[in-house]
Amino acid sequence: MATLEDSFYADLDELSDNEAELDARTEEEDNIDMEDLETLNLDDLSRVSKLQETHRYADIMHKLEKALGKDSDGGAEMGTVLEDKLIVDCNQLSADIENEIVIVHNFIRDKYRLKYPELESLVHDPIDYARVVKKIANETDITLVDMEGLLQPATVIAVSVTALTTKGKPLPDSILRKTLDACDHAIVLDSARKKVLEFVESKMGSIAPNLAAIVGSAVAAKLMGTAGGLSALANMPACNVLVLGHNRKNRVGFSTAMSQSRAGYLEQTEIFQSTPPELRMRASRLLASKSTLAARVDATRGDPSGTNGKALREEIRKNIDKWQEPPPARQPKPLHVPYSVPKKRRGGRRLRKMKERYQVTDMRKLANRMAFGTPEESSLGDGLGIGYGMLGQAGSNRLRVSSKLKVNAKVAKKRQFTGGSTTSGLMTSSLAFTLVQGIELCNPQALGLVSGIQSTYFSESGTFSKLKKI
Amino acid sequence: MSYLLKTLTKKEEIDRIIRDTIDEVLVLRFGRCSDDVCLQHDEILAKSVRDVSKFAKVALVDVDSEEVQVYVKYFDITLFPSTIFFFNAHHMKLDSGTADHTKWVGAFHIKQDFIDVVEAIYRGAMKGKLIVQCPVPPERIPKYQLLYKDV
Repeated sequence: MATLEDSFYADLDELSDNEAELDARTEEEDNIDMEDLETLNLDDLSRVSKLQETHRYADIMHKLEKALGKDSDGGAEMGTVLEDKLIVDCNQLSADIENEIVIVHNFIRDKYRLKYPELESLVHDPIDYARVVKKIANETDITLVDMEGLLQPATVIAVSVTALTTKGKPLPDSILRKTLDACDHAIVLDSARKKVLEFVESKMGSIAPNLAAIVGSAVAAKLMGTAGGLSALANMPACNVLVLGHNRKNRVGFSTAMSQSRAGYLEQTEIFQSTPPELRMRASRLLASKSTLAARVDATRGDPSGTNGKALREEIRKNIDKWQEPPPARQPKPLHVPYSVPKKRRGGRRLRKMKERYQVTDMRKLANRMAFGTPEESSLGDGLGIGYGMLGQAGSNRLRVSSKLKVNAKVAKKRQFTGGSTTSGLMTSSLAFTLVQGIELCNPQALGLVSGIQSTYFSESGTFSKLKKI
Repeated sequence: MSYLLKTLTKKEEIDRIIRDTIDEVLVLRFGRCSDDVCLQHDEILAKSVRDVSKFAKVALVDVDSEEVQVYVKYFDITLFPSTIFFFNAHHMKLDSGTADHTKWVGAFHIKQDFIDVVEAIYRGAMKGKLIVQCPVPPERIPKYQLLYKDV
């Protein structure tokens, strides 16, 4: 409100020691605005509550009466722009009346504090308070006052008991009269507000029953008013309907982290208010889409009875309940089918080299083979002992049988004598060895068997690899 | 507990279930619901039916009905409960160190024993064997004596 901001600025200016200036300023502001809260100090109700005297109020109430009268005659005007405007005006008026009631309540409370200060904290509702004050008036003996229909029984008892020990004193006549007038005033305002709301609701039933079934007539009226009519509302996409009525309060310098929902008037609907905060975003989007659908139905007069709207409302409720469902309980999983996965067989050079260590060695392979036509050598000689096969044959140049493999010569000699042999002291064999004779070693270098470091290290033609100057 | 498992009383039902269980071990328990050893056995079966549901099916045969007597005679069932295993309509034998390899006589001690037996039968059957070794340790195998009469 512009006036509120002005008053704040004025407060800032008032930070001076000049008290006379201060008083003058406050007096001025009092006289300007009827809704200024500083008017509480005044004694006169008419200064405080000016709404009923405004043109606007009278005008709208008059129109209301006319419209209500028209309705009862049987001719209902549907969908005219004037009626829509009237409905919007009615909504604004009802908000104003609410504010007015609060002001009047404060007035009554201030006056009645002298008589019964604790009543204010026992009865919170302004209209109920006004009614109770009217009932009790200046009565000192609370038992004579019958408050049955006005309050809850528990509250009645509380009020009666507290009245016995109240610190208040009876009011003087003039103040009492003013208080009672104020109470009447409050009650009249309340009834006017009820009438306004009734009118809006009734009209909503004939203009937009489906929309009203989903969001409620008050919010429906607001939406229509902001959109500029039912057809305009129907033509809007749902994302626009979502933000109708959203007032951007992003003041410069304030963070936007706390600006939670983008829903405008839809925030005030019963469905939105009853959903838990975590689901409100989703619920608002759902509401906007369904209410747009309902508005479209209403704009084309497709369903005058409002059943479509009720069905949509049920759908929304069901959806929201579904979101709130806990996940289904986990059941124990059945065991897998017993299937042993065949082992992954790997190949490659590394595996082959590893396997070679356990495979049959080349030496054993050669020992297993035999040459045709030539008798093989054996460890004990003459066919006894382990046969050597192709091992150590003259033709093969790889493996040699070391002398250790041969049995001790002494034993061999003994065998030789016992076995019976030729006249020569030695057994003839292709290897032809004697006591003194060792095993002939071949020159591996000549055969080209050596490779790598060996060849270069022992090489005759090799050069020094590293020369160090001493 | 046995209300969780299907009880068969007619010959057609037994035939149908043996025929229709494909690639799953079929466990048929022959016994009475009132017998206490049968009750114990049934409880173990009911507890493990979900665990082995991917490769086995369990059914109970009430031995008191007349149509079932044919089967009782055929399988030579004398002690209750007796459990017979089938795989693809073929009768699987189980060598558990007892005298009778064609069936399992008595109740299992623990759920895991039953699951092990079913798994052994499944593996053996998938490999094409007709008789499998029982994986249950001998202390948990119910012992019984067969008296041969008029044989």
